Amino acid sequence: MATIELERLVKRFGPATVVHGIDLSIQDGEFVVLVGPSGCGKSTTLRMIAGLEEISDGTIRIDGRVVNELQPRDRNIAMVFQNYAIYPHVTVAENIAFGLYRSKLSKSEKRRRVEQVAETLGLTHLLERRPSALSGGQRQRVAIGRAMVRDPAAFLFDEPLSNLDAQLRTQMRIEIKRLHHRLGTTSVFVTHDQVEAMTMADRIVVMREGRILQVGTPLELYEKPVDVFTARFIGSPTMNLLPASLKDGGAALAVGGSVRAPLASATSSEILVGARPHDLVPSSAGSEGLTVSGTVAVVETLGSETLVHIESAGQTIIGSAPGRQIPRIGEHLTLHAPAEKLYYFDKATEKALTAR
Amino acid sequence: MTAVAQREAASGGLWSRMSLGQKQVIWAWGFLAVPLVFYVVIRFWPTFQAFYLSVTDWTITKPAAFVGLENYKRLAADPLFWQVFRNTFLYLILGTPISLLISFVVAYYLDRVRFMHSLIRALYFLPFLTTAAAMAWVWRWFYQPVPIGVINDILASFGIPQQPFLRSTSQALPAVLAPAVWAGLGFQIIIFLAGLRAIPVTYYEAARIDGLSEGAILRKITLPLLKPTLVFLVVFSSIGFLRIFDQVYNINTNDPGGPLNSTKPLVLMIYQTAFSSYEMGYAAAQTVVLFLILLVISLVQLRLMRDR
Repeated sequence: MATIELERLVKRFGPATVVHGIDLSIQDGEFVVLVGPSGCGKSTTLRMIAGLEEISDGTIRIDGRVVNELQPRDRNIAMVFQNYAIYPHVTVAENIAFGLYRSKLSKSEKRRRVEQVAETLGLTHLLERRPSALSGGQRQRVAIGRAMVRDPAAFLFDEPLSNLDAQLRTQMRIEIKRLHHRLGTTSVFVTHDQVEAMTMADRIVVMREGRILQVGTPLELYEKPVDVFTARFIGSPTMNLLPASLKDGGAALAVGGSVRAPLASATSSEILVGARPHDLVPSSAGSEGLTVSGTVAVVETLGSETLVHIESAGQTIIGSAPGRQIPRIGEHLTLHAPAEKLYYFDKATEKALTAR
Repeated sequence: MTAVAQREAASGGLWSRMSLGQKQVIWAWGFLAVPLVFYVVIRFWPTFQAFYLSVTDWTITKPAAFVGLENYKRLAADPLFWQVFRNTFLYLILGTPISLLISFVVAYYLDRVRFMHSLIRALYFLPFLTTAAAMAWVWRWFYQPVPIGVINDILASFGIPQQPFLRSTSQALPAVLAPAVWAGLGFQIIIFLAGLRAIPVTYYEAARIDGLSEGAILRKITLPLLKPTLVFLVVFSSIGFLRIFDQVYNINTNDPGGPLNSTKPLVLMIYQTAFSSYEMGYAAAQTVVLFLILLVISLVQLRLMRDR
């Protein structure tokens, strides 16, 4: 187990800089998820920690030791890859034993460790099989087993669930999380899926274009996004953002109506008012907060709730209705969100504006 | 069947009364017939003819008469056949491992070269496109004594005595084999490169994290994953060396297979029996023997290298 520290970490590929001097400190035993759209530098960052990519500038410390120039094998980390990287020509047991390749343990001790890991992961009955006889989820478990068997300082996961189908992904998510609970090993997990990030992370690191936008617990990110990107990225369905202009203490919405906007730090008068679909519910009353009305365009019945897309002044706004209450398409509907559930952003800089 | 369908079936011909499955079968056999006829006429029929001729004494000038296994008995008693047999196997057991080893080493390192990769690859492939006749002429010059021969020139500059190469009964076979190996390298390198490229990069990355050395990665990951490529090349190149002919024929045009039959392979013997001596029956028997050797060696190799 170990801490991982990144200091002004930079990665350049030729003239292109893909990671722009990021700082990040990961605590011992923490489960940190790097999340962002493809090309945001999250995988590159992970590969630099692993030692698979050279560092252009900055420092990486694992357990206080600078590892910039160390070979991957000398960093005492284990990595799980998106395509599993388990070898088709050897058995499951031999695949797992690859993780112990450099260890000085006796043959029987190695065998015991492999069996122990296989038991933890429910692979005991598959040990003598070839990977081609396994399902996707079992292969992923073998890859995790190879990482686990060495008892590394940290686990690095590079989008390990992307090749699995939706149901299996949910199941493996829980398994990995449970495993982390048991082993308590520092883990860095890369994904582009915000649901994975929200459900698994102790802390989430949101990245975009080689920079860290925000670091925080899942709830912090959900409740206090620092900018429009994070606000839209975290939470599903995506937050509604309604353009508005500030006028004597209130904000006049482009779709009609206005909200009270008690903002402390507004520098320009053009802002965006954000409301999560789950806070925007059908209601006729409510003077406080945000009220929008429009024509129902699309209805998504999910059972537990119903997502309603209404069109108002050319903009589509998503709200949610109770599961049993399904509005008709074309119907006129008024949605309301309470004032304390609203978010405010500067339209030009896209940064969050704090309420007074 | 509905009334409409019945009427349609009755009014149409045989074709419209057939089921979809039957129509598919007819189409399939229709398309298959073309290559099938081609193969039977161009390949199988001559093959069976060769089997038949091998038990006759046909010599072009007189009609074929059945002689039983006479040709085979004669072959077994012919010292030239056993000499040729030995030569052919020398080509095989020297040529296949040497050419595969060189081409793998070249491919393994070429795979890592980014600088002018395509050009270098093309240069290696060039000998494969060259005609054997032209190549043999050039190599013949190489093997000449000083001052014409490049190889003897180099040897002389190091103070090493002149070598006879093609004029020596012991050196001639390796000297003929060298251009044959060289000519096949380009093809084998391309195939090895394709095999190496097909191995996912993450296999190597995972191995680096697990701490495998370069040698261990080669032994435990690259080579086992390259096995299908290797099987293909071993079989392909073995057949090539067993059938070696044009390299030998062209490098020593005055006395093909010489000196003293020391470089003569089986195919050259067949050629000379058939088209110099016109003993077609005897040549056919030799062909059948070559065919059986090829068949047995290919099957044994496939069996040995198949996945256990």
